[in-house]
Amino acid sequence: MSYHFQPDRSQYPQKKADGTLDIDLASGKYLKLWQGPQHPGITGNMSVELTVCGDEVVEGKTHVGYLHRGFEKLMERRTFIQCFPIVCRVCVPEPDFNEYCYAAAVEELAGIESPERANWIRTLILEMGRINSYLMYLGGQAGSFGMGVIGQWTTYARDLMLDRFEELTGARIYHMFILPGGVRDGLPEGFEKRMEETLLEIESTLGDVYDVMFCNAVFKKRAVGVGFIDPELIDPYGVTGPNARAAGVASDVRKDQPYLVYPELDFEPVIGQDSDIYARADVRRRDTLVSIDLVRQMLAKMPRTGPLMAKIPNVLHWKIPRGETYIRGECSRGEYGYYLVTDGSGYPRRVNVRGPSYTHAVALLERLIVNLDIADVAGLMVSLHTYPPEIER
Amino acid sequence: MPETPLTLWASLPEPLVTVLVILFKITLILVPLLLSVAYLTLAERKIIGWIQVRMGPNRVGFFGVAKGWAQPIADLVKMLMKEFIWPRKANRFLFVLAPIIALTAAVGAWAVIPFDDGLVLADVNAGLLYILAITSLGVYGIIIAGWASNSKYALLGAMRSAAQIIAYEIAMGFALVGVLLAAGSLNLREIVLAQQGGVIDWFWLPLFPLFVIYFISGVAETNRAPFDVAEGESEIVAGFHVEYSGMGFAVFFLAEYAAMILIAALTALMFLGGWYSPFPDTATETPMIGVLLGPGIHWLVLKTAFFLFLYLWFRATFPRYRYDQIMRLGWKVFIPVTIVWLLVVAVAVMGEVPPWFNHPL
Repeated sequence: MSYHFQPDRSQYPQKKADGTLDIDLASGKYLKLWQGPQHPGITGNMSVELTVCGDEVVEGKTHVGYLHRGFEKLMERRTFIQCFPIVCRVCVPEPDFNEYCYAAAVEELAGIESPERANWIRTLILEMGRINSYLMYLGGQAGSFGMGVIGQWTTYARDLMLDRFEELTGARIYHMFILPGGVRDGLPEGFEKRMEETLLEIESTLGDVYDVMFCNAVFKKRAVGVGFIDPELIDPYGVTGPNARAAGVASDVRKDQPYLVYPELDFEPVIGQDSDIYARADVRRRDTLVSIDLVRQMLAKMPRTGPLMAKIPNVLHWKIPRGETYIRGECSRGEYGYYLVTDGSGYPRRVNVRGPSYTHAVALLERLIVNLDIADVAGLMVSLHTYPPEIER
Repeated sequence: MPETPLTLWASLPEPLVTVLVILFKITLILVPLLLSVAYLTLAERKIIGWIQVRMGPNRVGFFGVAKGWAQPIADLVKMLMKEFIWPRKANRFLFVLAPIIALTAAVGAWAVIPFDDGLVLADVNAGLLYILAITSLGVYGIIIAGWASNSKYALLGAMRSAAQIIAYEIAMGFALVGVLLAAGSLNLREIVLAQQGGVIDWFWLPLFPLFVIYFISGVAETNRAPFDVAEGESEIVAGFHVEYSGMGFAVFFLAEYAAMILIAALTALMFLGGWYSPFPDTATETPMIGVLLGPGIHWLVLKTAFFLFLYLWFRATFPRYRYDQIMRLGWKVFIPVTIVWLLVVAVAVMGEVPPWFNHPL
């Protein structure tokens, strides 16, 4: 049974001539309520300024800037190799995507081709990171509705994957494993076997999550029909990734514009149809299973011998000729892109990060938040899968 | 005549003796109650920890046994040491009064709870009405706390709590009317006596919908998950007690857990036969453990513990209902179901359906 929230609009504030809402706070009918920047229901350091009428939101305004670290500006005074510790910190839960996009942009401008084996390992790391990111999301989605147990279970499963990352790259969160020209190292001995054990454990956790969270009547009541994104909004608001796929739009950069070794892998992007919180959570759960399958395929097909790094000049005096490029890829939250401009010097002229969080968490959130209950704001924010650090690079 | 404590006691005036005896009985109820509250918090953290595949508190403790057992004591000491923060422009009198009201309501209801046949502080004939009256007072603590804190989140929590408790109080009251019809008495001791016998004879079977609704309403009334919208963490931070710290918060905490134990004990008394044993016939014949198998306070404790476990289980595995969904469930599902089942119970009582209603009222 699908339940759509239909409020009584006669009580709503009318629009004034300039398009803003006629909200008279002195009347006592409306209340300004700040959610964030310190609020357990907000995904990070941002805040939403809500105007509520009773328990219902009539206007929401997002405020960002609590976590501005100026990464894009910092990179303009760093050599190309010095940027690597910075780019991975743009998005904490899925840092590898930044490394890949930046490395691919540098390679393209410098005219370097990364070897075949390095491409396989890069794709493997990206899919492992995607699984991590989705596991973190599932816990957050349940937690935003006050269901703590899913978060603990998926954190356990994610921790096993972090062990595999540690084995492969030497670090758990910020790997800095992908460099321009290739990757640092090959797979360690016995990695496939331990990876298979981890994948089996994650699959069993996902089964439990499905039983406890997706089949839960209360979770369905909270999530079905709430936070509906009209498929017509997908293009004008720049919605990408699972948020768009849950609306029935087949938007997946891995298929639309294949990069790395994706053309050689056999997979179908997961498409949903209801476009509500439940559909988005379900698309992400099924997408995790697709990623697990991709990791298995890659471990089976991957070449075990061959060079890992292409020849790159001395990184201390590395000058890249004038040029500009945009590298895009599909991260767990949508299209991720790096726009890189070089001017022939040893520093990037301009780096611009296109994170999916920016389009999802600012304009789209303000649009979707109207007419929701206060209780659903946290669930909606999590369901868009946004990270404030990525909004303010 | 030498002055021994016994002669001193005999020489005291009659009214003073009565008061002292009542005070002694109150202590006898309150001390185990507060200890149970303390260890219920530990049990909650441990059980939810196990459900969530982690350990729970396992550090605080001495004597080398079962590390973690001193956690509630450590928590209490921490709460006592913490500063009590006054929000600016808060109404100080009401701000202090609110936790006191909440605790008084949660503890006061224990006066009429019979622990065994005759083991009760006040054997009141209107016990059920007293329970209803006292437990509904608890919401004043929440509303006053939300209002006096001068905070928007606290106010929203208080508003939600008020609406929710009105809705569920009605369903709860109707469930209690069913018990009243079945037992023919408002006295809690007589309600238990009316359920004499084994598992089949208890009221949970003929009053099954009322039993389920009573317990769910009890969960809603004590503001526990999945009905904890008054303090919904991801929505309004902590709701009505967001501005309380130190002992103010601790008293709300005590009140919440004392109310939980109260609801669990009441459910056991009214629907699961109170102190009666599930093995009524084998009791006297079995050697050694015959006393344990017979009726006694330990059965009431066990049944209460079962319902308390359900509370923790709900909290670990359910997401929170939305406020309007709670209202819909209360008004549109629970109240109609209870009213319909009242008719069924009334007909069964008139028809003296065995084995529950064939005894003289």
